[in-house]
Amino acid sequence: MQGAPGIDHERDRSDERVPAPEPSATSAKEPAAKRERPSRWRPWLRAAHRDLGYLAVGLTLVYALSGLAVNHISDWDPNFESYSTTHELGRLSGDDAAIARSVARTIGVEGTPRDVYRASPTQLEVTYDRRTLHIDTRTGRVIDEGQKPRWLLRAANWLHLNRGKKAWTYVADTYAVGLVLLAITGMFMLPGRKGLIGRGAILVLLGAAVPIVYVQASGGP
Amino acid sequence: MKQPQHDRALHPPGAQERAEIERIEARRTFLKGAAAGTLVMAFGGAAFAVAADDDPRLGTNRPDGRPRLPPGQRLLSALRPMGGEPGDPSAAAWRCRIHGDCDRPTTIDFATLLRMPQTSLRADVHCVTGWTVFDAPWTGVRLSHLAELAGVRPGVRHVVFEAAHGYTANVPLREALRPNVMLAHRLNGAPLPRPHGPPVRSLVPDLYFWKSAKWLTGVRFVRADEPGYWETRGYHNHGDPWREERYG
Repeated sequence: MQGAPGIDHERDRSDERVPAPEPSATSAKEPAAKRERPSRWRPWLRAAHRDLGYLAVGLTLVYALSGLAVNHISDWDPNFESYSTTHELGRLSGDDAAIARSVARTIGVEGTPRDVYRASPTQLEVTYDRRTLHIDTRTGRVIDEGQKPRWLLRAANWLHLNRGKKAWTYVADTYAVGLVLLAITGMFMLPGRKGLIGRGAILVLLGAAVPIVYVQASGGP
Repeated sequence: MKQPQHDRALHPPGAQERAEIERIEARRTFLKGAAAGTLVMAFGGAAFAVAADDDPRLGTNRPDGRPRLPPGQRLLSALRPMGGEPGDPSAAAWRCRIHGDCDRPTTIDFATLLRMPQTSLRADVHCVTGWTVFDAPWTGVRLSHLAELAGVRPGVRHVVFEAAHGYTANVPLREALRPNVMLAHRLNGAPLPRPHGPPVRSLVPDLYFWKSAKWLTGVRFVRADEPGYWETRGYHNHGDPWREERYG
């Protein structure tokens, strides 16, 4: 049998999986034209659905993971892991740069600070790229606080929220259109009772009911 | 005609009948499962909404008579970061423009802010996503002090808080001049930590927390209202938690 280009033959046969009629007096008399025949367009639809699905895997993971992460933003920080440690070092003296060096050495902070700033007679702010040392020079209390980026999620969130703008808007639009096509092609992939005249219709309606019921129940916007 | 049960027991159903029964049972199971799944998804958040909290402050009222916990909010013990594109946390680099419709526009640095009269207060904050924190201890400079320094002109009706990466939030002037509205630089007795918009953020406790702009870079006094970042993206222009002014 010659299949449509690019179509998996084994999947093609699903069109032919129409339940065989029970042998009966009526079916024996049924004209051949009334029997279900495999559609010509369905294999193409399935091929489109399959290939769009493959293409969408990467972006779906980006949007889904980031969606989960950002959806629960009131429970955690999806972009950074924050920390804060307090050290009691006793009275600190000397010029600001010397105090900053001494504190960094004592608590084991590496790297060069971006700036050392005397905010008030008792407050010295030492800023690094990802951490800040808040030094009370009178009491010697040092608060070492900063953030470590969650690299993968931060990148996914950056893309999801389209912080980069520019070309990503087109990518995101294309992906959204792709999802619409995936949904539509998915609905018509299967014929018969597992398709839109049976189980498929029920599932489509139930899926559509979720937002409708939610909006109704919650009072909506 | 319906077959009596005892007959059925004596004569078990044939293969065709069994298949039909199995099909019907499978359909029932499927429908039950699908309906249950839909209900669970549709009402999924209800568990959070009805979760009880036994904090004694929950049943109390504010001095203005409104309940301490605005409707639709749940109580948390600490502020959540809530994201946002981070600005520069450096106190050394911080500058804040006090400008707009005023006689004495100025730009202040961090040390200048610390030399101004400081106010420490405990304020409740309410996030539009549904959480509230009671009695968060803040320190900063009242906006009313800065407005006085800048010489705000008659006719000014709104304040626009300007922040890193073009973020803005608008607040009516009469609400911005309340004694609990400030430019805050300390939280919980320590300098603002990085997730909360250091070195300085605005604090407007009586409106949803998106009005309290992190990584503050400017305060602008204007006559005509200018909806800000979230206000132009579907959120309410005012943001009163007790009226649940979440969305526009």
